[in-house]
Amino acid sequence: MQAQADKGKWIRVILPMVLLLAVCTAATAYFPKGAKASKPTAPSSLRTNVGLPPAVTATDPGPRPLPANAGGFLGKLSSNEQQIEPSITTEFNRTHDVIVTSPTDGGLGPRFNSNSCASCHAYPAVGGSSPPSNPLFAVYNYNGANNTMPSFITSSGPILEARFINQPGTTIPDGTVHQLFTITGRSDASGCNISQPDFVTAASQGNLALRQVIPTYGDGLIEVIRNIDIINNMNANLTKKASLGIAGHPNNSGNDGSIQRFGWKAQVRSTLLMAANQMNVEMGVTNETFPNEIDQTPGCVLNPVPETVSNFTPGILTEMFPGDAERAEYFTQWMAPPTPGQQNSSTTNGKTQFTNAGCVYCHTTSFTTPATSRPALGSITINLYSDILVHHMGPGLADGLQQGSAGPDEFRTAPLWGIGQRLWFLHDGRTSNIVTAIEDHFSVGNSSYPASEANQSVTNFNNLSPKNQQDLVNFLRSL
Amino acid sequence: MPRFDNSPSENLSGSKSRRHIPYYLALALLLVASAAVLMTRPVVVHGSSLAVDPGPRPLPADAGNFYSNLTPNQNAITLRLTQIFTEVNFVAGGPLVKTVGLGPRFNSNSCNSCHAYPAVGGSSPPNNPLFGIYQLQGATNTMPYFITANGPVIVARFPYKSDGVTPDGGVHQMFTISNRTDAPGCTTLVQPNFTQAQQNNNIIFRQVTPTFGTGLMELIQDSDIIANMNANKTLKQSLGISGHAQFSDDDGTITRFGWKAQNKSLLYFSGEAYNVEEGVSDEAFPSENDESTPSCLPPFPVPPGTNKTKGVPDDRMDSGEAPKLPVNFPSDLERFSLFMRFLAPPTPVPPNSSTSNGLVQFNTIGCNMCHTNSFTTPKSSIAALSNVQAFLFSDLLVHDMGPDNADNVNQGGATGDQFRTAPLWGIGQRYFFMHDGRTQDIVKAIEDHRSLGNGTYPNSEANQVINNFDALTPKNQQDLVNFLRSL
Repeated sequence: MQAQADKGKWIRVILPMVLLLAVCTAATAYFPKGAKASKPTAPSSLRTNVGLPPAVTATDPGPRPLPANAGGFLGKLSSNEQQIEPSITTEFNRTHDVIVTSPTDGGLGPRFNSNSCASCHAYPAVGGSSPPSNPLFAVYNYNGANNTMPSFITSSGPILEARFINQPGTTIPDGTVHQLFTITGRSDASGCNISQPDFVTAASQGNLALRQVIPTYGDGLIEVIRNIDIINNMNANLTKKASLGIAGHPNNSGNDGSIQRFGWKAQVRSTLLMAANQMNVEMGVTNETFPNEIDQTPGCVLNPVPETVSNFTPGILTEMFPGDAERAEYFTQWMAPPTPGQQNSSTTNGKTQFTNAGCVYCHTTSFTTPATSRPALGSITINLYSDILVHHMGPGLADGLQQGSAGPDEFRTAPLWGIGQRLWFLHDGRTSNIVTAIEDHFSVGNSSYPASEANQSVTNFNNLSPKNQQDLVNFLRSL
Repeated sequence: MPRFDNSPSENLSGSKSRRHIPYYLALALLLVASAAVLMTRPVVVHGSSLAVDPGPRPLPADAGNFYSNLTPNQNAITLRLTQIFTEVNFVAGGPLVKTVGLGPRFNSNSCNSCHAYPAVGGSSPPNNPLFGIYQLQGATNTMPYFITANGPVIVARFPYKSDGVTPDGGVHQMFTISNRTDAPGCTTLVQPNFTQAQQNNNIIFRQVTPTFGTGLMELIQDSDIIANMNANKTLKQSLGISGHAQFSDDDGTITRFGWKAQNKSLLYFSGEAYNVEEGVSDEAFPSENDESTPSCLPPFPVPPGTNKTKGVPDDRMDSGEAPKLPVNFPSDLERFSLFMRFLAPPTPVPPNSSTSNGLVQFNTIGCNMCHTNSFTTPKSSIAALSNVQAFLFSDLLVHDMGPDNADNVNQGGATGDQFRTAPLWGIGQRYFFMHDGRTQDIVKAIEDHRSLGNGTYPNSEANQVINNFDALTPKNQQDLVNFLRSL
């Protein structure tokens, strides 16, 4: 049925848009990578010349300046919970070296992307996403490591992790993260001699998929939203959604069947599983959920495994807290959502236009959390601007990776809270211009993938008056 | 069902090991009696096998102890870990802070009701504990047709959704909390229609896997599993054996728990099982397992003086409810995983001339090409698990087992007819065999490894080895069976 719907879309919607796509692509290419978001955008003359709907005139005002409107803990945490805030903050900020010297220290590698949660989850405050100046340049050769910097990591670009679509040299699907760096050469890793992945070959073969950092603010609220509320929202406004070409589906857990929510393809269920996953995948710190080193080359497994475990030493709470992964879990679980900036007549109208254009049919304005055992998380209406479903986004965004039931061209609707202070957009961080990010939601289908479900909404956006377009953009930058 | 006493311990902090003494005595008596009954059952001869299953070794259990070399601090929490593993969960109002959260749907109300034999942490006991659970507290459940008083504890999965085409594969819990007195207001949840699923040929079963020694299995290095997979290639090929590892979508390492090796770690498994088997939502899987009926979701009203259910997840870390380690340790699922991690492997009985020859035959005919005798763990941060040779008799790979074993459920990289090589340690005291617990006769279990391919599934990879078994002399066959029952 999906395929039929997509065929229908092709005839009704997509063919007239082919030329527009070409123009969008040209517009994207027109801007140098990493262009500051405040620069003027969208050469609208190109589009009007080919008879397509009036095109983008809005400009991205750029990220709101610091101070950060995010990064605090939830306001209603109990005094006992507040008591361990320093401990979990310390853990999130900890720089991991290779050798474990205490139950909470060390464990880096053998392969890693960075050495601290906070190095990547950095902006606009700890727990967030990529900062303006790439922290990996201070990490990759740290302590004598031999690493070279992959070409796709630039000093003022986003932090990206690399996945291979297929196992190198084969047609066997891969999809896993291939860490950028190794501990080889580090003074605390003598005897380890392994090479970085061959990113040059992977890139030349089109086998490289890049993903940027997702902020963690409000994740503890996202994880407790009821599945049934997500499904009810999916099944709401079906006629309208059908007219826009919007479908979407959840990515259900193979474990308990519940709806997964985290990651670019909604491939992870909870803050606990995400924290544990990231601990091993991004830093190489084995833990009680993922206890095996990712690379077990002799000479490179330099610590007993798992490298972080429950600390069995009796004592006061903060000392005998469980392993680092659980601490990172609580840090992300207890982060409050970002606070939107000041609203004005432009942003208020922008929110109306956001609804009118149909953005809201994927970027669902809000959900309300159920009663929770941790009262700070319960019965709160959260304005996350996501339906927590995955949607076809067309060949222009497809990354070739299947994760659970999320296909190679499907992505979770990115929550928009906090994007007013975000520096890079879309899963691969391809742009720092939020108007380009909107336009890049448009993608005509091809023989591999159907059209982006966002095509009609982006067309609607382009059809807005210049003022309404700008108001919508201003609204986004107010979040 | 005195062994599965559902009354919780009176006082958490006052609980001592003496609480378990009558329990173990009762368990021992009951199970010795049951074993005696089983051992007198008629002998069944399968194929050309002349061997006879001597039956499970009687109690006392040669399993269920913690490692003797845990540190004092680790030892100090084992009592609490056991309490959590054996606690009976209520929907609401349980007497202990950690005994709330059952349902809305569940298969049982305690880990150890199913992980029971031959000791806490094991697998199905000879008498099915579910009969003492399904109508507890006034619940109006009926017992599904496939659960029998002397049969294994099994869970039901539906391979396909109701359209008969779309893959499902999920567990469909047997029971609901409807009409339980501790679920006031919840009256309308309906059990799955298992009879209909049976008529549609859309139901499969999985029995309980024991947890002894799983802390070692968790740590075995991927590189050792792969090296073992690649060893003896020529012999394996001649036997029709291949097999492959199942990899985690998260970190790409080899997953190893569950009938299809679908779970990565004890913590991951604990998080799943707490929610799927008992309906206790937790920090790994924080949703209730049926959200369709608001009156069946927490918070429930509770009598004064009992524990409140506040909401999801039912179980979470106590963030400092009490200052001392055994009480405010992290959430139940961390405790479950530590409980299992600290459980030593089963102890085999000392070899005799028959079992020694049996091991030789086991390895000669090729059983060991999948049931790899041992792996050695790497250095571990838990000293008791460090550099231990684990005689698990499994390669931790999944293999095609043919149409007669296929359950049509895909899990990760394991297809509908593929199963993890079941670890054999402890099967000397095990009651039920194969993923669906279809038999109590270990000789039949061997023979059932044989299955000819059809249009859907290839041959079982075990076929040639089973032919080899059948070709053994009667004495060698019997010695091999005796060896298995010595594990």
